[in-house]
Amino acid sequence: MRSLDWAVVVAYLAYVIWDGIRMTKHSGNVEGYFLANRSLPWWAVGLSVMATQLSAITLVGTTGQAYSDGMRFIQFYYGLPLAMIILCITAVPFFYRANVYTAYEYLERRFDAKVRSLTSFFFLISRGLGVGVIIAAPSVILSIVLGWHEVTTIFVIGLSTTIYTMVGGVQAVTWTDVKQMFVIFFGLSVCMFVIISQFPSGVSFADGLTLAGATGKLTTVSLSFDLKEKYTLWSGMIGGLFLFLSYFGCDQSQVQRFLTAKSVSEGRTSLLMSAFLKIPMQFMILLVGVLVFVFYQFTAPPMIFNQVEVGKVAQTAQYQTLKGEFDTAHHQREQAAEHFLKDRTDATRQEYLAADKAFNASRKNAVDYVKSATKNESFNDVNYVFPTFVVQNMPMGVVGLIIAAIFAAAMSSISAELNALATATTIDFYRRHFKKDGTDRQYVFFGRIATFVWGIFACFVATYATNIGSLIEVVNKFGSFFYGSLLGVFVLAFAVKRARARGAFFGLLFGISSVWVASHFTDIEFLWFNVIGCLVTVVSGYLISLTDRGGIDVVDV
Amino acid sequence: MKHTTKPEEPPVEMPDAWWYKVYFAVIVTTVVVIGLLQAFTYYFSS
Repeated sequence: MRSLDWAVVVAYLAYVIWDGIRMTKHSGNVEGYFLANRSLPWWAVGLSVMATQLSAITLVGTTGQAYSDGMRFIQFYYGLPLAMIILCITAVPFFYRANVYTAYEYLERRFDAKVRSLTSFFFLISRGLGVGVIIAAPSVILSIVLGWHEVTTIFVIGLSTTIYTMVGGVQAVTWTDVKQMFVIFFGLSVCMFVIISQFPSGVSFADGLTLAGATGKLTTVSLSFDLKEKYTLWSGMIGGLFLFLSYFGCDQSQVQRFLTAKSVSEGRTSLLMSAFLKIPMQFMILLVGVLVFVFYQFTAPPMIFNQVEVGKVAQTAQYQTLKGEFDTAHHQREQAAEHFLKDRTDATRQEYLAADKAFNASRKNAVDYVKSATKNESFNDVNYVFPTFVVQNMPMGVVGLIIAAIFAAAMSSISAELNALATATTIDFYRRHFKKDGTDRQYVFFGRIATFVWGIFACFVATYATNIGSLIEVVNKFGSFFYGSLLGVFVLAFAVKRARARGAFFGLLFGISSVWVASHFTDIEFLWFNVIGCLVTVVSGYLISLTDRGGIDVVDV
Repeated sequence: MKHTTKPEEPPVEMPDAWWYKVYFAVIVTTVVVIGLLQAFTYYFSS
């Protein structure tokens, strides 16, 4: 990082914090602090919805995954447009017209206070831990770039976001999200342009994609129906559909976004913005990772991207031996790639694929050695690929811009999650159980305290989350544990007239238990957990409801 | 950038028939996008 890079990062951070804090004037009452007085335009809400989902994990983890595994991850998003349509028909009008602050508040009207408290509690647990992982991702980057300890970077990122979220409320979250989306896409566009411009002379963008395509890195549709295969068209269309229904329809961090819209129509339009743009946007992010892969066909990549771990083993004889083998494998792959691009026959293609296979085996040996030498079995190099590439290869100024973009991605998600956690804590617990007749001032004050406490909690969780595999998968796997079952409760509420409070309450517990069983005793991939949790919750909730002859009638809202 | 905090006029709600056309457009667009991605994969992988 040089002086211009520092200037870009510091300017970005200072502007975002100032911009968030100046929203205080719109946050004096409860509805203003938590729902922006339901006054925001669809495009701002839509950008905020996308910014909340696009975390630093998406930038760092997805690009790293594209580098090592290709673009197959994009299938994860194929169910999203259909999920948005279903939510536009159901959740948006239900929640908006019910005039609620949280999704779980609606469940008390439909069932009872116990169901509301239980669902809100599971949201607080899953999101409170999830936001810790979201903070951990950019801290990984900063620890490399700045040479700081990860704990320091965690608290710098976590606390700076906590401050403007705590002071400015949902107005600060939404309007900073809008600006952060522009920073992210400007940064990514510049990054792509610079990578392509650094290809060797004679190697075009199309040539690069041909190399990536030959190695299977451009696979975007897999028709396999194997439940043990992680990303397929079907796991995305079915498992992803359930996950996104739950995430956008039952997770307060997203529900709160469209509750701030001016009307039901504007809330719907904001969700449909994601339906149109999410897959192309994810394609662009994955393409950056693939371009990094192409770049390293002609430039020697680091054998291990995590320089901290390299420092622990670099002097050992075995590491030096592995490094020699790795350099040779890279050189042979580079030559094979040049042959393939010059003369595109089946023979040169096979030569290139064999060289790529040998290269990958050489890198795997190195990763395995680092794991055993450092006694760190959970070591995963994927998250370090993109930041290390940026710092080592991007020109002055661009490094700062991309680091600012990663900061923007992190802060946009963290702020929305903290705001949602504070809202659920204040509205579903403090106002519901402890202070029913409080003033606006008391609730806003409590909301600010809750934001601060959740921010500190998330920072502590993040200190344990920096080295637990591909971070984006950790978040999605963890979410899948709860999301399907929470969705099941809302399906019971919206669509099953015979559903009663007892059925919803125990159905939720059965749903989460079934996911636990599936995760521990089967090899089913995590996207299917959402389907299992939802179905078990709905079926068991309905059957239990049949045993309850009392209860309340359906409340139309 | 202007920060809107109060609605300037009553919100206009579009009729359901209009929304169904929008939903249909979303589904068609999604199918086209996945088709284009498959074509992209095929073109550079073959």
